[in-house]
Amino acid sequence: MNIVVEAKQIKKVYGAKGNVFSALEDIDLTVMEGEFVGIMGPSGAGKSTLLNILATIDEPTTGNIVVDGINLTKMNEEQLSAFRRDKLGFLFQDYNLLDTLTVKENIILPLALAKLNIKELERRADEVADKFGIRDILNKYPYQISGGQKQRTAASRAIISKPSLILADEPTGALDSKSATDLLESLKDLNEQDKATILMVTHDAYAASYCNRVLFIKDGKIFTELVKGKRSRKEFFNKVLDVLSALGGGANDVI
Amino acid sequence: MTLFSLARKNIKGNFNNYFVYFVTLVFSMVIYYTFTSLQYSEKIQESIELSDTMSFMFGVSSIILILFVAIFILYSNSFFTRKRKKEVGLYAILGLRKKTIAKMLFYENLVMGIIALVIGIILGTLLSKLFAMILIKLMGSTADVDFGISFLAITQTVIVFMVIILFTSVQGYRLIYRFKLIELFYAEKKGEQIPKVSLISAVIGVLLLVVSYWLILKPFPDEFTTEYLMKNYGIAFVALFIGTHLFFQSVTVYLLRLSQRNKSRYYRGTRIIETSRLLFRIRGNARTFTVIALLSSATICFLGATYSGYYSNEKRAEEVVPFSYSHLSKGPEFDSQVESIIKADHRHPIKAQLDIPVIQVKGILSFQLDYDINPVQLISESTFNKAANALNKDETVSLSRNQAAVIQPRFTEYTKSVFKGENITIQLPQGSSKLPFVHMVESNVLPFDYPDFFLVVSNEMFAEIAKKEAPLTYKVYEVENEVTAQATSKKVNKLVGNDFQVSSSFYTEYKQGKEGNAITLFIFGFLGLVFLAATGSIIYFKQLTEAYEAKGHYEILRKIGVSRKDIRKSIKKQSLFVFGLPLTVGILHSCVTLYFTSNFMSNLIGINLIVPILTAIVFFVIIYAVYYVLTVNTYNRIVNK
Ligand SMILES: Nc1ncnc2c1ncn2[C@@H]1O[C@H](COP(=O)(O)OP(=O)(O)O)[C@@H](O)[C@H]1O
Ligand SMILES: [Mg+2]
Repeated sequence: MNIVVEAKQIKKVYGAKGNVFSALEDIDLTVMEGEFVGIMGPSGAGKSTLLNILATIDEPTTGNIVVDGINLTKMNEEQLSAFRRDKLGFLFQDYNLLDTLTVKENIILPLALAKLNIKELERRADEVADKFGIRDILNKYPYQISGGQKQRTAASRAIISKPSLILADEPTGALDSKSATDLLESLKDLNEQDKATILMVTHDAYAASYCNRVLFIKDGKIFTELVKGKRSRKEFFNKVLDVLSALGGGANDVI
Repeated sequence: MTLFSLARKNIKGNFNNYFVYFVTLVFSMVIYYTFTSLQYSEKIQESIELSDTMSFMFGVSSIILILFVAIFILYSNSFFTRKRKKEVGLYAILGLRKKTIAKMLFYENLVMGIIALVIGIILGTLLSKLFAMILIKLMGSTADVDFGISFLAITQTVIVFMVIILFTSVQGYRLIYRFKLIELFYAEKKGEQIPKVSLISAVIGVLLLVVSYWLILKPFPDEFTTEYLMKNYGIAFVALFIGTHLFFQSVTVYLLRLSQRNKSRYYRGTRIIETSRLLFRIRGNARTFTVIALLSSATICFLGATYSGYYSNEKRAEEVVPFSYSHLSKGPEFDSQVESIIKADHRHPIKAQLDIPVIQVKGILSFQLDYDINPVQLISESTFNKAANALNKDETVSLSRNQAAVIQPRFTEYTKSVFKGENITIQLPQGSSKLPFVHMVESNVLPFDYPDFFLVVSNEMFAEIAKKEAPLTYKVYEVENEVTAQATSKKVNKLVGNDFQVSSSFYTEYKQGKEGNAITLFIFGFLGLVFLAATGSIIYFKQLTEAYEAKGHYEILRKIGVSRKDIRKSIKKQSLFVFGLPLTVGILHSCVTLYFTSNFMSNLIGINLIVPILTAIVFFVIIYAVYYVLTVNTYNRIVNK
């Protein structure tokens, strides 16, 4: 199996002389194709920072990252943009939909930007809309639909360009439990059926239990790692809770 | 903490929001102060011969300026206040009493206004010198400007703006009482929604524009009454106004919607982003666009029309006073006195010197002409040819014994065909004689004096009539470089007195025309500049506010993989639309309106409007282009850094 993400010795330091704060310290991370990896940790641990660095939205202070065989640190801004457009899909807690576009226009935006031909574009739009069950709302605007629908729209947009890696930052954070479960089920299907590689930051143990593997971060360092293996989701969920309580301190403000 | 210091803290904290409003205030004050200090400048008043007209024009313009400035400030104030409703809501939630908040807003506005006033007057003092120099240069004077502070102007500026500032402060105070807390808090959340397409109003909009253009461009009817004028152009301008609004409100929405239909174009690159954003914003901008389009077309019209007056002054003066000096002969002693004055001016040597004998007779036309022709002024064929030659005109007449040529009366539009096949019967002591018209020429020989009806007759005929009716003799001189002959012209004028309705020397006519036109041009130019700057700033402010609101939007686009370069391109395209659309409509309107004005004007003074109008338009486009660049850069810095 191919390696999708290979990050080595990632360091991220904020602030200038005298007042430096290190958000990430020597993080190593490898994600294989078809994996569904969770990242957990107390708030302020550096999860979003790590994800944003992998997403090329942010730059590491030092360290080396290779995604899908491409070395991110060697690319200029324009190349990075094209890389994000073609290789990555995003899901964020606050959906990040454009309110001037309809649901459909939001979904096809990455393909339109990549100037894909119209037939293929329409075909893929239908395909993902069916997958996430949002066919009925395609012509609505974001302000006319619910949070769950918004997140499914965002998920459709994230996968429409068949990205090598899907990055999600607390995608269920603003959803009610029913919508959250729907979304997680969809992500699991995506992972199992379409072999999508997913990296998901969450601080919800329930969401984490959908993953194959969970990384725990504390104070910018990797604390431990849990692999689901042959366990059932319920068992895995309990394991995750155990680790979280062992994390201590910040664990109080988890969930 | 006192209210005063809280207000001061507020201003410091929200500098960006305040800045835009503050700049508006300072700008308005600078403009107004500059204008009034020019109005009261003695140096300028001294150097102008038409002082009454000037004070009148300055007075009227300063009232227009006050109105405009007041509207502009009120507009930006309400704009600014709207942005702050949320902040006010926050104070209320934190437990400040309404009365306290209201007082705070009141003081805040007052403090800001006073600071702006001080800065405005200081900048205005600097600028007024610059503008005075421009005015003096336009008038062709050489007076130096060095005036410092005009207390009269300061007092007037302070009074006008204190009234406006107090008014806006009271408005801010009232705002708190008028709104419910919840409204204040959600003030900013009421986002625009995608507008619905209304085909009917789009069609009506286009129809109204077509109708108004048609009414304006329609040729004048033969019967030209005030009622017709009011009706035709009244309807035309109302239609233009409503049509323009509907154009921005519906037609553009319809067109943008239409462009979304073609999916393979629409779903390609960043077009999808630009089109949808423009659609989203257009309703909110429609009213501004309308005002800007109409305002800029009015400004271009006035500027174009006034500039053409300035531009063609020399030509007009040459027509009204053809020779450098002309006077009625009053005996050899008087005549040689005049001649010696003119000869003494070595810097303006005489090119040509002629006697023009004129016989005044009574004449009856063979047809109806709505011009009072009597007394008819007769000059001989050879005199006319010599005069035309001396003035470098290539018109000549050659007549056989009984024929006559008419010189087109000045300020009329009679054509050759009016006189063709007709004749005039002139009454002489020895009986009348009938002269057929064979020509109409356009070269005038003497300064204008109503009624301006000159007839060129054959040399034989002239000599014959002269035997019975003694001719008056005019002495005319053409000198080199007549446009600078100031001192000699003054002396000649003084000696000669009023032989004609206009001045007897070209220079005086030229200079007066130039000054009058310069003042009008300057005032319209000044007002135009203010309108232009104001409309440019309004678009700039609006775009800036939009940029702050759109920050998240562009952040999302960056995450999805749109490069900074493409975002900048996209911003450029949108700004081009926002600046270009009202400007284009404004230019179109002004071209149509100017066509109408020029129907009126150019025939009257026979001037060419194309160059001045193009100049006004180019000037407008350049200033807008500067605003465009400024907007793109600031917008880009806000959303794309
Ligand atoms: N732009 C920034 N400047 C300074 N510190 C930052 C910045 N962004 C994040 N941090 C700090 O880095 C740490 C990690 O942040 P983040 O990755 O957002 O945490 P989380 O694990 O909750 O997602 C936090 O302590 C945060 O305060
Ligand atoms: Mg986070």
